Amino acid sequence: MIQPQSRIRRSLGDLSERALAFWLLVPAALLLGLVALYPVGRLLYTSLFRRRLTDETGNSPVFVGLDNFVQAFSDERFWTALWNTLLIVLVTVPGALVVGLGLALLANLPFRVKWPVRLGLLLPWALPLVFAGLIFRWFFDSQYGVINDVIVRLGGERLLWVTTPELLFWAICLSIIWKSSSFVALILLAGLQVIPRELYESAAVDGANRWQSFWRITLPLLLPAILVAAIFRTITAFQTFDIPFAMQNGGSSFETLAMYVRTMSIENLNFGYGSALAVLMFLISFVVTLVYLRYVRGADD
Amino acid sequence: MRKLFWLLVAVLVMSAALAQQTRLRVFVGGQQRPDVMRKIFDLYQSKNPGVRVDLEVGGATSDQQQQYLTTVLASRDPSIDIILIDVIRPAQYLASRWADTLDKYLPAASRQNLLRQYLPAYSQANVINGQLVALPGFADAMFLYYRADLLEKYGFRPPTTWDEAIQQAQTILQRENNPNLNGIGFIGAPAEGTVCTFLLPVWAAGGDVTNAQGQFSLTVEQAQRALQFWVGLMDQRVSPPNMAEKPQDTIRSEMQAGRWVFGTMFAYAWNRFQNDADSQVKGRIGVVPLPAFAGGRQASCLGGWQWTVSDFSRNKAQAHKLVRFLSSPEVSKILAIDASNLPVFPALYRDPDILRVNPWFGQALPVVQAARARPQHPRYAEISEVIRVTTNQVLARQKTPEQGAREIVTRLQAIYGGR
Repeated sequence: MIQPQSRIRRSLGDLSERALAFWLLVPAALLLGLVALYPVGRLLYTSLFRRRLTDETGNSPVFVGLDNFVQAFSDERFWTALWNTLLIVLVTVPGALVVGLGLALLANLPFRVKWPVRLGLLLPWALPLVFAGLIFRWFFDSQYGVINDVIVRLGGERLLWVTTPELLFWAICLSIIWKSSSFVALILLAGLQVIPRELYESAAVDGANRWQSFWRITLPLLLPAILVAAIFRTITAFQTFDIPFAMQNGGSSFETLAMYVRTMSIENLNFGYGSALAVLMFLISFVVTLVYLRYVRGADD
Repeated sequence: MRKLFWLLVAVLVMSAALAQQTRLRVFVGGQQRPDVMRKIFDLYQSKNPGVRVDLEVGGATSDQQQQYLTTVLASRDPSIDIILIDVIRPAQYLASRWADTLDKYLPAASRQNLLRQYLPAYSQANVINGQLVALPGFADAMFLYYRADLLEKYGFRPPTTWDEAIQQAQTILQRENNPNLNGIGFIGAPAEGTVCTFLLPVWAAGGDVTNAQGQFSLTVEQAQRALQFWVGLMDQRVSPPNMAEKPQDTIRSEMQAGRWVFGTMFAYAWNRFQNDADSQVKGRIGVVPLPAFAGGRQASCLGGWQWTVSDFSRNKAQAHKLVRFLSSPEVSKILAIDASNLPVFPALYRDPDILRVNPWFGQALPVVQAARARPQHPRYAEISEVIRVTTNQVLARQKTPEQGAREIVTRLQAIYGGR
């Protein structure tokens, strides 16, 4: 009689390497399917229905094909939200890269005690987005905010930051850049530290000044890290929600795509249309991710 | 494997033992005085030993609470049995089939008897399409709070018209010459209270969002005049230029710090002015019905909170019993004394115990009786968003009152037209 344990061992041993790999990957695939594929599939499915919890379609959805998407393309509010989201990407991604690079260079200086600089780098990154939004909401308060206080002390007029659209946009961008540049700095700092010191030394021997060695050595060698940071930042910038939401008391004078999706689904209970908007948002993130994957594959080659 | 089996058996036995006692979970908002609610639940538990009532406390505003509840209810989560909902929500709860309507526990005759005891506005607000969706917990309406000491100093009586209020505010601001003092505070942030701000002048002018048949009837002219009135307060400098930033509770805390002469707010503010440790205005605040607009009409905005049973509850009968207790005169009195919540029973406005704590309740009854309700509609959330966001943008001077009025009317027409 064969002992059960040895039978298992034998059957595992019988597996080809390929089959073994398959069985070892099954749990991960199942998990991924459960937390990623199922919800996205479900979202796609819901986006094809008229489903509002405020009428009878809440319990018996009606199939409408691509109607929700057609509606989105003629929905002025969707285009405004998309445009606002693009503006956020265009301003805050380069903004965070520049500030993040500065911070990374600063943190890479040979300080004797390194931890205060590193801690300063990590703190904004560790802070929840909503908190950052609320803190900046107070900074920009027209009556009690520190920003207006400084402006008034310098002899200026109080500005209505939160309720004037143009000012609000820049206040939001500034908050996002503050919040996200530390993430960029962390990636760039890692990139900086793998640049061999000898390169700078030989450049110095060749008579290059600091500026030249920054342009000729640091920047080109840091480019892969900058690209990674830029792509990650772009993906999260497309999903911008927390900071503009918290800064406007939940109002929607400046609305990003993610904010519109939330209002449509969670507040207006229009889940069919809300899902269609979310699918469109998903497609955008998907395209950006494809670009990223292409880049990673390119780097492997 | 065997260990796991016994563990499972143990869990089952334990849960069966716990099931002997009914556990009800009640959801209330953070601003609904959870401490007072707990006291009321303890009272119920001592009378009903077989029932344990758990309290779940939600966000601090009506919108925040509903966002959370939407997630819970849309996923048919049975964990919450009873919910305290805003007076604007019964229609949506019925349409979404989130509420277990109370009719099956009440024969028609006793339902009528029960509803007759409440203030008529609340029996109306809770019956949608003939179905009883919820029972009233406490009443609310908007009032004018004023600095009694300042008005007395300049020999003014509490204003009965807005023109009077504006004049008084102008005089007081000029003579006091205090840069930290503001005139008339009203709700202007894009939150739910701003819907009331918009509707007050509309109602006073004899208009409303719908007519008696429930058809959309708001005109651009009515909407424009309403928006113009509030913008006018800022133009006349009795309200500061940043009103678009102010939610209700900011006005309340500023008035508590002595920064406003007048403030339009719901009833909860009184208790905070009188009892909060940091209140600078203890004993110096008076409260009267909102002033009348030109033409002599007065209007207030009906608030108030209702108890409803979740349709996903597993203890509906027990939950219904608790809701009946929570909407009883006994509880209404506790809420009036401990939380200055306005009673839903007219007789309690003359109750000596209540008047000792809230002397102004004597004048409050006619205000609550005359207060107007915001539109009842399953898609109220969208109606509210259109009104509060647009009103906020007009107050922030991003749009003129005329542009705002056109936008409000066009977008509301679309919602009422089923689009």
